Parts: sequence; C-alpha cells; structure tokens
Amino acid sequence: MLRVLSQADKNSAVWVLPPGLIPRSLGTTWKVVEQPKTVTFCTFYDTFEWGVWFSGHLLYNDGTEYILQTLTSGWPGTVECTEQGDNIRFWYDFSGKLMRQRLREYLGLRGLEAVATAVFTTQCCDLRNESGKIVCRIEWSCIADEPGRDPYFTSCKILPLRGYEDQTSHVVYRLVELGATPPGTGPFSLLLQRAGCTPRVYTLKPSFGISFETPAREAVGRIIATILTIAESNIAGITADLDTEFLHDYRICLRKARSLLGLVKNIYPLGETEQFRNQLGELTRATNYLRDLDVCALTYHEHLVNLPEPLHKGLSLIFSRLLTERKREQRSVSTNLRNKSASNTIQGIIAEISIVSGHVESAAFQQIGPLVFRGILRRYRKIKTIAQTINIESTDEKLHQLRIECKKLRYLMEFFNEILPSDKSQLLQRQLRRLQGVLGDCNDSSVQQAFLLGWWHKQQADTDSTLTMGGLIALLHQRQQEARLRINKMLSEFTDNKTAATFKHIFKLQAEATGK
Amino acid sequence: MKIISSYSIKGGVGKTALAVNLAYAFSEADHRTLLLDLDPQGAAAFYFRVSSAKKFNMGDTNSLSGGLRRNIRESDFPGLDIIPSSLAYRHFDIALDGMEKRRKQLRRVLEEFKDDYDTIILDCPPNITLLSENVFRASDLILVPVIPTVLSQRTLEQLDRFFSDEELPLDRLCPFFSMVQKRNKLHRETMAELTAAYPQFLKTTIPLSVDVEKMGLRRMPLLAYSKASDAAQAYRTLCSEIISLQENVCD
Ligand SMILES: Nc1ncnc2c1ncn2[C@@H]1O[C@H](COP(=O)(O)OP(=O)(O)OP(=O)(O)O)[C@@H](O)[C@H]1O
Ligand SMILES: [Mg+2]
Repeated sequence: MLRVLSQADKNSAVWVLPPGLIPRSLGTTWKVVEQPKTVTFCTFYDTFEWGVWFSGHLLYNDGTEYILQTLTSGWPGTVECTEQGDNIRFWYDFSGKLMRQRLREYLGLRGLEAVATAVFTTQCCDLRNESGKIVCRIEWSCIADEPGRDPYFTSCKILPLRGYEDQTSHVVYRLVELGATPPGTGPFSLLLQRAGCTPRVYTLKPSFGISFETPAREAVGRIIATILTIAESNIAGITADLDTEFLHDYRICLRKARSLLGLVKNIYPLGETEQFRNQLGELTRATNYLRDLDVCALTYHEHLVNLPEPLHKGLSLIFSRLLTERKREQRSVSTNLRNKSASNTIQGIIAEISIVSGHVESAAFQQIGPLVFRGILRRYRKIKTIAQTINIESTDEKLHQLRIECKKLRYLMEFFNEILPSDKSQLLQRQLRRLQGVLGDCNDSSVQQAFLLGWWHKQQADTDSTLTMGGLIALLHQRQQEARLRINKMLSEFTDNKTAATFKHIFKLQAEATGK
Repeated sequence: MKIISSYSIKGGVGKTALAVNLAYAFSEADHRTLLLDLDPQGAAAFYFRVSSAKKFNMGDTNSLSGGLRRNIRESDFPGLDIIPSSLAYRHFDIALDGMEKRRKQLRRVLEEFKDDYDTIILDCPPNITLLSENVFRASDLILVPVIPTVLSQRTLEQLDRFFSDEELPLDRLCPFFSMVQKRNKLHRETMAELTAAYPQFLKTTIPLSVDVEKMGLRRMPLLAYSKASDAAQAYRTLCSEIISLQENVCD
C-alpha cells in the first residue's frame, strides 16, 4: 500500500520541488506515465507538551487509522504502529500493545488534541525510455491546506531501478535544472506553522535568569511572574477539559508562587504579601474538590488491577458516580475560570510584583543569594528538629508538618537552582525528592481515604459499591502504611551527620563568604 | 536459492514463454527472482524491453560473475530482475571450455547471487553444448516444454539418453506439456502415452493460446497484461506445482 507519508530509504532520495512543477515537466526526455493520485486528508495530533513531537514522532489519522511514525530530520520515517479507532484522547484509548506502550511513554497523563490538518496528494510516475521500459520511478507529493487548494509544499522521491543508475542521475540533473533542492528540514515545521502552532518546550522548572547578586525583590518578582504566567497558560486546557495535567500544573504554580512569597520575607510590604498569598490561596482552594476527584479518577486502572474480581462491579459503579460528579464540578470550575476573574487576579499580581522601584522594605534591595542560602539552612535545621520527634507511631498531622517543611525547602532549592553550586546541591535535592516522594505517597493515601469516605457518606449506597469501598479504603490504608515504613530510612538518610555537614558546608560557608 | 532452467533441444516449443511467465509468477509469489537469458537471440529480455547486455570479459569465473552482476536490470515488476543476453553469449562455450572443471562453472558463478535471490530462472538456447551441460549441472530443476506430437517423443528420448550417458541427475528433468490443444485427439493420445512412459511429467499443462502469442506485441509477460486468461492461470498453477515439488524434496 502506498502511504501518504512514506519513508525514503537507502535506495531512494527526496528532493524539494518549486511550486507548480508537475510530473509532465519531465516529458521532454522520457515518456511520463502517471499513476492515479491518492489524496489523503490527515489530522495531526499532539499534546500540550508536544510529547509526540519531542519523542521524534508524528501521530496522525489518515481518515482510516491512526499512524505513529518516526520523524527523521523533519521527514517521515518508519511507521511504528497503526490502529483504527475514534474519539481517541489518551494512550489507554488505544488497544494495540505497542501503540499503548509507546504513547504511554510519550504522553503520560496528557491528552491528545488535533494540532494541524493537511491534504496530501501522492502520485507515482513511471519514466519510460523509447523502448517503453521503465528506467526510473518518481513519487510526487504535494501538501495543501485544504482539498483543491494550491499546494504549499511539493517534493518528490526518486526511486531508481537497478541497472538504470545513469538514467536516475539524468532525472536528478533535469529536476535540479527545473529548480529542485535538497530535502532540507522537511515539511512539518511549515505544516505546523501554517496551523498556527510551534512546538515549544514546556516545563514547570524554567530558569529565571537570576544570579547570586540579583536584588531580592527583582529576583522574587521575576520568579513569581514566570510561574504565574505558566499557571495562566494552563487555564484554557482546564476549561476545555483536555486532561487532568492542566489543573495539576495550574495548582502547582499557584502554590509555588504563594509559597515563595512566604519564604523570602520583608521584600514587599507585609499587607501586600498577605493579600497576594490570600488571593493565590483562594484560587487554589476553588479547585481543591475537582483535584481530589481527578486524583481518584486517575487511580481507576490501578485499582482494577489491585482489587479482586468480585469487587470490580462495585468499582465501576463507584467510579461512574465519581466521574459524573467530576464532570459536574469540572463544569462549575470552568465557568468560574472562563469569566476571567482568575486570569485577572493573576495578571494583577504579576503587574504589581514586577514593579521594581520605590520600595522601602528592608530586604528588597539586598542580594538574593545570602538570603536564600540562610533560608535553606534554616529550613534544613527545622526539618532536622522535627525529624527527631518522628517515629513509626507519629500521627498523620506530624507527618504532614514534616512534609510541608520539606516542600518549602524543596521549592527554595528549585527556585534558586541557578545560583546553587550544582553537583553537591543536586545530590541533596535528589535525596530530598526521594524523601518527599514517600511523604507524598503517605499523604496522598491518607487524603484519598478521607476524601473517599467523606464523599461516600453523602451517596446512596448499594451493596456492591459498599463492598468495594471497604476494599478500596483497606487498599489505600495499606499503601499508606507501606509508605510510612519507608519514611524513616529516607529521613535518617537526609538528616544524618554527613548530609548535615554537606548542607552546612555548602550554604553556611558560601553565605558567610559572599554575604560579607 | 533455487535454480530452474527452461530447456529443450528443440526450438520454438515455448521455452522462452515459460521462462518469462514463470519468472513473473515466482515474483508474484514473493520470491526474489532473477531471470537469466542465456540465449544469444535475446527473446526473454525483449519481452521485458530490456536492451542487450554490455560486453564483458568471460575469461574466468570472477570476471564472469562480475560481468553478469553489472548487467542486472530491474524489470518493471516488483521483485523481478533480468540479466539480458547478448550476442557475446555465443562464446560462452569457448569461455567455459578454457576453465577448470568446465562442466560445473555456471553453478559456481550463480552461487554468487544466493544472498540476493530466492529463485533464478535460466532461459536456454535450443541445443546441446558445453553451456547446456553446465546448465544441467547448475539447475535444481530442468523444465522441458513438450508439444504433444509424435516427434517430441524422440526428442525426450534423446535427452534422456544424454543424461544417462553423461551421468547427469535424471530426477531433475521435469517435462511438461506445452501448447496443448485439448480438442486435438492426437494431442490427447500422445499425452497419455508419454505420461505413461515418463511418470515425472508435471501435472500442469500449458494450453495453446493466442494470448501467449500476443506477448510479442505487448512486450511484457502474459501474466502482466492478461492476468485471468487460461494460459496465465496455467503458468501460475505450474509455478505452484514447482514450489510444492521443491518443498517436498526439501522435507
Ligand atoms: N502456449 C502457447 N500458445 C501459443 N503460442 C505460444 C505458446 N507458447 C509459445 N508460443 C509462441 O510460440 C513461439 C515460440 O515460443 P517461444 O519463443 O517461447 O519458444 P522457444 O522454445 O523459446 O523458442 P526458441 O527455441 O526459438 O528459443 C512464440 O511466437 C510464442 O509466442
Ligand atoms: Mg527461446
């Protein structure tokens, strides 16, 4: 079968042709026999994070099936897998093993959306000599925005025949005379550009361009403005309900900004700081319930694996209710977000925070470096103190408090990663991430139990669901216990003398040396 | 890699028609196929519109295989390549004669192609020479088109005797009926007699058909322009019979 975006291999060569060049242009030297044209309307898919593109692939539907194909220097490569289907959004909406495996890796929790469409016309032509023997084949391809429109990209693939290499060279020579150029960067950047989109790297940990000496107020302002801009860029995805990551990232950004305002003190007037923190807290809270529902909904497949078969019926009952509830809540959150108040609040904060001049607060013009280093040491010591009181029997609240302190430290180190001495602080950050991972697991399980139970008490219970709910809670509880057991090891690792010495070494000395 | 030759001492019995269409049928069956035209008349290559081979040195096996390789031409049909003939092939005999083990050189030369092709088909000129002897020793199967007439019995006997005398593998000799007229009583009778005398006759027969004759005008294999004709079907069936024959031999 002829594929629209077929691959050039070691035996064929691709040339980009000037617009308007048609196969018959070669008719003076050879008899050009044109095979029927194939016209294919393709829709290309990717995620908000361009997971498919950055994995070096294309995912498109040619009207019959989804095709996952590699992209090599901008040109289509090997077709990795294909699958028919419709209403595909997430990797698990596919059923083929390889397709699921690949897309799970490229998409994660992200949903696919159509990013571009194009019409591909492909035509095979035989070039025959005076005896009527085919001496070269050419696959002519055009890309247009819509059927019937003039193509904006024309290329051809030359398929030589063994024993007729001289004729192939002759064909290439003719094409170059007619304006053909080497393959270049391929048609896809152009294709996406025409659809109004350009793949860009998306990250929650951008660099902010600050240095040790940057005035505190300027540094913090820049970080907050950047993070809040990322938060805002997620709003459209939340209201469109493309996937749950938009809300997740939106909340992270709000929380980070809020946290930073509390971490570096005395650089904004106290009232202002409090006001921003309250506003950001409120925005976050408005999405708490939806996030809780999201977290539950995301665990469906996992629970399906972990719960015994007899509880599956109840599980699907519970989840269909949860999903209904989620849909309702999603709509209400979206309505609120659409009426711009969130956007306006965020914009307002960005605007005020970016004003650099005219402040009298004590720390506003101090170098950010020493402030951050002192802050990091202080946080670490606090964690060490709490750690001494933690054991297997510690209450959830106690663990929660530890987790919050760890989070603050992690945020600090992440925000100002650019000014930390890299190797050693990377190691510390890795340790911290591991510790936070188990604390997070523990907390998630506990929060989910509480949430599910709370939600459940408001539901009309049937036997199947009740049975499953029991199982679910037990499962979550067990997971929480397992995480708990791991906490001690990570915590003592993070607070042992060696780590403490490293913290002191990096942050104390540097702070003193540069601070004075 | 299997080497199959289309051979008969007699001229005009359908050797080239067989070689050309069988090669096409094999490529249709996904065999990477090479058709080697050994007849200086160059009829087989003509049917593929391929011009005659460029001259090359035949002095030793290396230059022979190199020359053949350089003359490989991709046909218009997927999976089917051709080495056209050239008038120079009339010196094949002399060339082979000068070599050591002169009766086995062709096999050695063709072994060079075993990574590239699953099936090589040889179209042979109608005579018995040193080249034909090489063909016999090189081939896994020697297909002999036999027009069911009284005379053809003599030709078969001749060939049989030659094989016995020269201690050639008789079991590779595979006659089949060519240009058969089912309505012709004489044909039917001859076929019955010959099959009784030579049980190795293939089951498939190729009918006499104007569709085959038109190959000269169309300049392409019958299977390429008249897929559904009786004769085309017959060539295809013949191909399957040969494939299953070879599979049985392998088992
Ligand atoms: N089954 C057939 N029905 C009708 N005509 C046929 C058939 N097979 C071959 N012919 C015709 O008979 C003639 C001789 O056939 P072909 O060239 O295949 O025989 P050959 O044995 O190769 O001859 P040569 O010995 O000259 O190489 C050709 O014109 C061919 O078109
Ligand atoms: Mg012939």
